[in-house]
Amino acid sequence: MKRAILCLLVIAVALTGAFAMGARDQGKAGPQLPELSHDELVAAAKAEGKVVVYSITSRISNAAAEFEKKYGIKVESSNLKDGELIEKVTREVGGNIQGADFVIAQDSGRVYGQLIATGYLVNYVPPSMRNVIPAQYQNPLTFQLINKVFIFNSERTQQPVIQNVWELTEPQWRGLVQFKDPKSEGVNANFLTMLTSPEWSAKLEKAYEQRYGKKLALTTKNAGYEWIKAFFRNGLVLGNSDTTISENIGIKGQPRTTMGLFVYSKTRYDATKNLALLPMTEVTPFSGFIYPAFLMLTRNAKNVHAARLFIEFLLTQEGFAPWAKDVGSYSSNPDIPVNQGDHPISFWQPRLVHEDPQFLFENRAAVEEFVNNITF
Amino acid sequence: MTAANRFKSFIRKPHNVILVALAISLSFLTLFPLLSLVRDTVIVHPSELMSIRGSKPGDLTIFHWRKVFFDGETSQNLFYKPFWNTINISLGACLVSLVLGGGVAWLITRSDLRWKSFISTAFIFPYIMPSWTLAMAWLNFFRNRLIGGAPGLFTALTGIETPNWFAYGAFPIVIVLGLHYAPFAYILIGGILRNMDANLEEAAVILKASRFKILRRITMPIVMPAILSTFLLVFSSCMSAFAVPAFLGTPVRFQVLTTQLFRTLNGLNPGYGYIMALVMIVLGTLILMINQWFVGKRKSFTTVTGKSSNISLVKLRSLRTPLSAGLVLFILAVAVLPLVTFAIESFILAPGDYSFKNMTLQFWAGEGRVDIGGGEPGILLNKYIYLGLWNSIRLSVVVALVAGSVGVLAGYAIVRTRGTRLSGYVNNLAFFPYLMPSMAFGAIYLSMFAKPNLFIPSLYGSFALLVLVGAVKYLPFASRAGINAMLQLSGEIEEAGLILGVPWWKRMTRIIFPIQKSSFLSGYLLPFISCMRELALFVLLITPANRVLTTMLFQYNEKGWNQYANAINLMIVVIVLVFNTAINKITGASIDKGIGG
Repeated sequence: MKRAILCLLVIAVALTGAFAMGARDQGKAGPQLPELSHDELVAAAKAEGKVVVYSITSRISNAAAEFEKKYGIKVESSNLKDGELIEKVTREVGGNIQGADFVIAQDSGRVYGQLIATGYLVNYVPPSMRNVIPAQYQNPLTFQLINKVFIFNSERTQQPVIQNVWELTEPQWRGLVQFKDPKSEGVNANFLTMLTSPEWSAKLEKAYEQRYGKKLALTTKNAGYEWIKAFFRNGLVLGNSDTTISENIGIKGQPRTTMGLFVYSKTRYDATKNLALLPMTEVTPFSGFIYPAFLMLTRNAKNVHAARLFIEFLLTQEGFAPWAKDVGSYSSNPDIPVNQGDHPISFWQPRLVHEDPQFLFENRAAVEEFVNNITF
Repeated sequence: MTAANRFKSFIRKPHNVILVALAISLSFLTLFPLLSLVRDTVIVHPSELMSIRGSKPGDLTIFHWRKVFFDGETSQNLFYKPFWNTINISLGACLVSLVLGGGVAWLITRSDLRWKSFISTAFIFPYIMPSWTLAMAWLNFFRNRLIGGAPGLFTALTGIETPNWFAYGAFPIVIVLGLHYAPFAYILIGGILRNMDANLEEAAVILKASRFKILRRITMPIVMPAILSTFLLVFSSCMSAFAVPAFLGTPVRFQVLTTQLFRTLNGLNPGYGYIMALVMIVLGTLILMINQWFVGKRKSFTTVTGKSSNISLVKLRSLRTPLSAGLVLFILAVAVLPLVTFAIESFILAPGDYSFKNMTLQFWAGEGRVDIGGGEPGILLNKYIYLGLWNSIRLSVVVALVAGSVGVLAGYAIVRTRGTRLSGYVNNLAFFPYLMPSMAFGAIYLSMFAKPNLFIPSLYGSFALLVLVGAVKYLPFASRAGINAMLQLSGEIEEAGLILGVPWWKRMTRIIFPIQKSSFLSGYLLPFISCMRELALFVLLITPANRVLTTMLFQYNEKGWNQYANAINLMIVVIVLVFNTAINKITGASIDKGIGG
């Protein structure tokens, strides 16, 4: 009896494997549709009547409301964490299941390696934007850039509290610095990975010499790894959410000045939440990091036209409004001005660490393992 | 009789048909996924291209096994430390729940405690409520500034800063899980104490044995099997707990297997996660075997028999009032206070400021404001909350109907064919899902049904998949209720109908079901409640279109939008309590019948 069941199961498994293999290469065609004029696109989109979007930014729901109002097309929007979004798209498009029509995704290394190289995501630049958006942001189409910078509690002092990132490894900051857990958000792991690149490890090495007047003695591969290890070991507090971190840092009446590395846009909470937060922009060799969010169609999108229309909408001033209200969000469309009180991209570029998809793809796993093994 | 005739007569009995159908479908739904899981531990997944150089998705690899078990420091941090953390907190929580639940069971059945009916009803509240309720309440109360930034109510009221070990990590996890499962111990041990023949104790009283001696030499040995069962069941429940360690452990980087599982499955190396799921299933199966070995030694079932008389209750004397009052206060603190903190937290605008002018209805009924919570409207105005609520209720009802009905049939078939090998096989299969940690079970179904399989199309993202995983996971509750109900029912009753030529389905619906209505309905109630408050089982399988309230709660919490999370939590608890009370009052079904049996 038991043996018979076992036999059946073994056969069944073998069959499953065979079926799974066969199923893998379906539907490679993708939404390659003829180009339509704007009016034709609107008509086709309205005929579809609905669009589904997964997004790493929660404000998509506000943009969705505006889009619904303007075109009368229903939007189902979902706000997901970056890793979750990538996993879901992989399963849905890979299994040819109807899911999102388009996505706003972040985490360059994984988006390139897991979604673009596999053809799961398809690039689409609206014709009206081809001469507007700078070429470097067109393939893959970048929706916005987001920055995370060193921000401190400004109740006691308005002056920057550090000049050099190596200060964060010194005893006076022990247990007072917060950072979002790199395992719960890919872009944070990307930032750490980029620090181990030749470019940034050299800069970190120089910064070390500036601060201490001596050469850095390596116990790891390079100065990048060295800084990460010292930074984590100095009682770094890992949070699950940038919102919580911004509250933890900004709340008034704390016994000591605290600081964190989190999204610049959280300084918007200042007034309503009664927080005291100020960013630092002149830290050697970097004041934080900046990363792109991509705007792309899925290969098996059902509501292609509505998705195209929404993508175009998001690149206009009107569609970007929910993000433009605040600092810390920069559209790839240079015609959309940055928020008053914020600096333009050209100001941030030299001060922040950037993502290099190729380097990330090759080194992220090693850095994650390294971080996982830092004990304190 | 020829083989063909034997087969004919076998197949003509409805219980045989049910049994065979269950044997096949349960093998497919529990054993087959296990093999699929094993396969997932040795292949390359799409997100692993980064860590396994030059591989293609689907390639065979031993990378995961090497990393999880044999890679020195990496394995330590990845697997061994979380593994021992899991074992330790499960043991600790068992101890807490046994002492507390067993103690209360003894006080209720054997002493002259006051307010017994209130205590026995309210004491099981923590089990009815979602397990993370207490975890969130703990954070609302005791979170400190060192890590949590804005201090909690306790610090706001007293000015005392709670130490880290007290606010986060192993200690609060043990306490919270212990409190959550104490009702479990109370129901199981209390059931035995109630049903055990009081003659034994009375005989000892007549022989002038001391109270302590009676407890040690008579009561304990009889209750011992129940204590062991409780211990093993609570242990496996704690081992698979996800929400509690996720809420209380992460702030201090305290990892257990379930939290590691969740991270790895959504991160770069899902292969690690599948191995951890496998380890948890092996542990669960070991526990089942130990449990069966104990139960098997005690062949008979506890049956309702006539009892000689009431045993004289222990006089608590001067301790009576203080002990009773203390217990009531404790129950209020555990069962009612958390709800109060959720209510308060959901009205707070600036974190950590509990003054009245800081209260707002924004998170309940406010329009979206971009400066708060990313422009999310209050939960009563949020269409996605209603979607989640509708999905939760729909899912729970369907799961309860499926699991409950299959449970009744399983109970019927297993009891009618008791003693045969097939009956034992189905009985074990129907209980097996109980021992699979919820998250691991979700992981298996994810790996198995995310792609087309045999004749079944890819179910990922469908409502059917959630129903399937829920129904199989909660079948043990329903089948146990069904088996217990059938065991109490003598075969003659059905035979009487058989002789009169009443067809099978009529015997089921007109005779058997009505007689044991409340027991059978308990088999529907428990899956419903469990499903309403389930997170770990669904968190990996949910897609945006079919999200349920619990996964939304978890997302809000991860994002740090505490007010929304607290408001949703309050909503879930209220729904579960209302349903439970209503069903209990109308039909007499109750969850203690489901667990205790």
